[in-house]
Amino acid sequence: MSIRTSDRTPTTPDVGEGRTGPAVATARGLVKTYGAGDTAVHALAGIDVDFTRGELTAIMGPSGSGKSTLMHCMAGLDTPTSGSVVVDGEDVGRMNQRQLTRLRRTRLGFIFQAFNLVPTLTAAENITLPLDIARRPVDRAQFDAVVDAVGLRDRLNHRPSELSGGQQQRVACARALVSQPAVVFADEPTGNLDSRSAREVLGFLRRSVDELGQTVVMVTHDPTAASYAHRVLFLADGRLVGEITDPTPDAVLGALRSLGADDVRGDHHVEVRTAAVTAGTDL
Amino acid sequence: MGRVALRGIRAHLVRFLLSVLAVTLGVAFVAGTFSLRTMLSSTFSGIIDSAMVGDAYVRGSEPASTGGPNGTQVGEVRTTISTDLARAVDAVPGVRMALPDISGPIVLVGADGTAVTSTQAPSFATALYPQDDTIRISAGRAPHGPGEIAIESATLAASGLRVGDRTTVVVGGALRTVTVVGEVAMGAPMAGATITFVDVATATAAYAPDGQVPTITVLGEPGISERTLVDRISPVVGATAEVVTGDTMRAESRASIETMLGFVTTFLMIFAAISLFVGAFIIANTFTMSVRQRMREFALLRAVGASPVQVFASILTQAAVVGLLGSALGIGAGLGLVSMLRVLFERMGMDLSGSIPLDPSTVVISLVVGTVVSIAAAAIPARRAALTPPVEAMRDDVVVHERSLRVRALLGGVLVVGGLASLAVAVTDAAADGSALIGVAAIGLVVGMLLLAPVIARSVLGVLAAVFVAAVKPLGRLARGNVTRNPRRTASTAGALMIGMALVGAASTLAASTQASTRTVVANEMRADFLIQSATGAVPSGAVAAIDGLASVSHADALSYASALVTTGGATPTSADSTTLVGAPAAAFGRSLEVSTVAGSLDSLRSGDVAVQKTAAKDHGWTVGDVLTFTTDTGVTTATVGAVIDSKALGVPVVVPDSLAARLVPTSKQQVDTVFVTPAPGVTAEQLRADLVGAAKPYVVLSVLDQKDFASQLADQVNQVLVILYALLGLSVVIAILGIVNTLALSVIERTREIGLMRAVGLGRLQLAGIITIESVLTALFGTAVGVTIGVVLASALPTVLADTGLTTLVIPWTQLAWMLVLAAAVGVLAALWPASRAARLPVLDAVAYD
Repeated sequence: MSIRTSDRTPTTPDVGEGRTGPAVATARGLVKTYGAGDTAVHALAGIDVDFTRGELTAIMGPSGSGKSTLMHCMAGLDTPTSGSVVVDGEDVGRMNQRQLTRLRRTRLGFIFQAFNLVPTLTAAENITLPLDIARRPVDRAQFDAVVDAVGLRDRLNHRPSELSGGQQQRVACARALVSQPAVVFADEPTGNLDSRSAREVLGFLRRSVDELGQTVVMVTHDPTAASYAHRVLFLADGRLVGEITDPTPDAVLGALRSLGADDVRGDHHVEVRTAAVTAGTDL
Repeated sequence: MGRVALRGIRAHLVRFLLSVLAVTLGVAFVAGTFSLRTMLSSTFSGIIDSAMVGDAYVRGSEPASTGGPNGTQVGEVRTTISTDLARAVDAVPGVRMALPDISGPIVLVGADGTAVTSTQAPSFATALYPQDDTIRISAGRAPHGPGEIAIESATLAASGLRVGDRTTVVVGGALRTVTVVGEVAMGAPMAGATITFVDVATATAAYAPDGQVPTITVLGEPGISERTLVDRISPVVGATAEVVTGDTMRAESRASIETMLGFVTTFLMIFAAISLFVGAFIIANTFTMSVRQRMREFALLRAVGASPVQVFASILTQAAVVGLLGSALGIGAGLGLVSMLRVLFERMGMDLSGSIPLDPSTVVISLVVGTVVSIAAAAIPARRAALTPPVEAMRDDVVVHERSLRVRALLGGVLVVGGLASLAVAVTDAAADGSALIGVAAIGLVVGMLLLAPVIARSVLGVLAAVFVAAVKPLGRLARGNVTRNPRRTASTAGALMIGMALVGAASTLAASTQASTRTVVANEMRADFLIQSATGAVPSGAVAAIDGLASVSHADALSYASALVTTGGATPTSADSTTLVGAPAAAFGRSLEVSTVAGSLDSLRSGDVAVQKTAAKDHGWTVGDVLTFTTDTGVTTATVGAVIDSKALGVPVVVPDSLAARLVPTSKQQVDTVFVTPAPGVTAEQLRADLVGAAKPYVVLSVLDQKDFASQLADQVNQVLVILYALLGLSVVIAILGIVNTLALSVIERTREIGLMRAVGLGRLQLAGIITIESVLTALFGTAVGVTIGVVLASALPTVLADTGLTTLVIPWTQLAWMLVLAAAVGVLAALWPASRAARLPVLDAVAYD
């Protein structure tokens, strides 16, 4: 954990309260309900949260706690049932599809757990894809900085199928950062990686915050991954139930235990594998 | 396993829908063709049964060539017999009456002042015997004298005339004003034939002035069998005639009609087969993609104990269901198609028999064909699915290993090279059988290119995509990536279009070349200023005389067609020696027609010699000075070959002077095909045309053409054939478009996550639709470009190979071909509409989370 810096602004420990730093993304009274009546599931049961500019924030919680839903609502991928979301000064809740597309194109970056790259494009083309789609010129300096930071200089002309899982995920990171978005949302970015590759990716995400001044919001199951963050938010049953700053893996694990969710890490892979097989039968 | 297969179809009905539709269209063509054949067959059977009611028939005992087609006979042409025989037959005990069949062509002018005609059906007049009780006059009375006619009911309705009306007919080459005095009911739909009845004297004067008729219909007394009747009559007819039972005669007529319908059926079946073949591509693609997506499901089935054979069978079961469903719908669609055709024919004045027939055999054949095609198309993907090890499919990211294209490349390369080689031989080696070689080349090129298509797809698509890559960034590049990532799939999608487009390319090149060649022939060989032709194929002799008599006409040279059995060296003539002749005035050469002479001189025609075509001379070994023997039903004549000519305009083997033609064929049977007209000195073209039109007008069916009109009329005929061909190919193109829709729709499902990803990083809906549209256009362009190229290459060889038949000039219709590409692009856009809008509607989050 040598990367971590300790001379940062102290943060208030109050859960749900606004932080002192400038917030790049804010949610107020966020509710997301699936279904209706007796079968209604409250994925988000009223959340107030601020994500600070220039920080790496991790969101943790057991399966079904609503952490992915929170991120999807923040990123404009999902529409909240009620409440407001403001990203980079813009009210996401009031946007139509066209505006949401533009928001994603210009202000947001995404890193998914898997399937981050377009298989027909080279690594370089994948990195500049958001800029190409937006028909914006590529800032060569930024491109070079990002490429060097992820260490992919010699892999730029390879296709995704010719890259390892870790390299693919680093390409995805580079793609998310090349357009210098206001926020990068990462959904289990290391979920499919071995521990070494995971370390590389997490290290890069942290450096992008510390050295390039990016803002990253990351959903994760993994306490080690969460320990790379400046701040960790804990969700359970659709509510924000805890928060620690400058975490260590042990502190995160302790916090999870205290939430009664110590099984999170163990069942992660089982869950994914089962999903894969059952999904296959459904095709 | 069966249940899994059926549930699989029910759960993904949309995915199989287009496959079902493809089978439906192909089978509709098959069922429609069979049903059309049955309908036509029963219509013509009805005609035979109601028009040939004799108990026995007397006819000539020898096969013969007769003076040109008169449209009223089916079956073998025989020598004629004398009407006098009827009297002798009539005297035989048991014979109620013996009626010579006297009939011939007629032009009937309808109420609107134009000739009553319907498409290709014949127009003829026949003698109505007052004592003939087999013919029912439903209104008015039988005609008496040259000024009266009776008309068959359907003809009467088509003509707009009514009993009591006065109208004009052209009989025996003369214009005649007549009164319609009766309506005759035939008791069956006559398929649009124009049938007029005249009295015996009029018919004899016009069609049997020499007392010769093809047949005599014999009606027996009640209770006497046909066989007995034949046995009793046979001794009195002599050696030149024979007697057959009515059943035999009807069976022979039916058989010859079945043969003709057989050709039509075979012709249509070729296009049905093309459609089914193209449909098979869609089915194969659907199953390949569905299998690819369901690898995990198969792995699960294998893991719980299913054998590869069971997996294989479960996929084939799905294919069989698709095939059966599609075939069943196809049979219905085929019947619908035929019903529509029948209405269309009726509009054109061609009545066909009542019900739309559906034989059990049509149903069975259609079902079997549709199902077998589906199962065969699904067999390869099914086999691959069955052989995939469960472990491999259980992995998170299923990587379906694309098999190497090397075998395909090799096999395709060999076939294409072989095809090109046989094409080269066909073009360069005059001694080789060019047509057969081109057939071999066609099969080699088409099959070879279908195999090679995935190999060349990447580079060809790269070239085609260059425009899009440069013009619409970054959509063009993304689309190019998508169409080239699975060249096998793109190639087989485009392959469906390729087949139809190869035929379109060949047909349009052939048509353009034919038109250009015709224009060259007309320009080179026609010297007359005008020519006159008839819509019925025969210019009435009265019209020829009228034109010849015009003051503004210097010469009117009539060309008449006839046929004779032509032999040399005293060989016994057989029907295989039947040869088409053109009779022309010897003086016509040089003033009306410019014909190049290979040997001898055309002047010899003035002294009664004949000229033979270069190709015929080669085939039969005829040279100048040989004596040819002409056998017709008027007797045997000989003439010397005076010249060997090379004429594309006179596309017949033998040209005889009109003096000889008159001896070979009785004047009443001569059919003047064309009259060439040269103006008198000082007469302008406009004046001459006005005079000619005036002289031709009363005959209703004549048209006056100058060289340009004539060439464009011939070009129109080519275009008509082309339109029919395009219409028949249209179905295979429609199926190919469905194939593109199918592939795109399935690949959108397959790429759901990728689409979700791109949408998440900011791809707009229109941009996404744009990518899919470009993919579609590229696929369509690929198929069209390759297909049209194959077609044009093949058709380019034809003018060299078929130069002897008059196809001399090669014209590649670049503009038309360019339009084909434009059309392909439009087709691509059309095919993308549904898949693109489907993709654009995918919610981003669902797509990202899709597994």
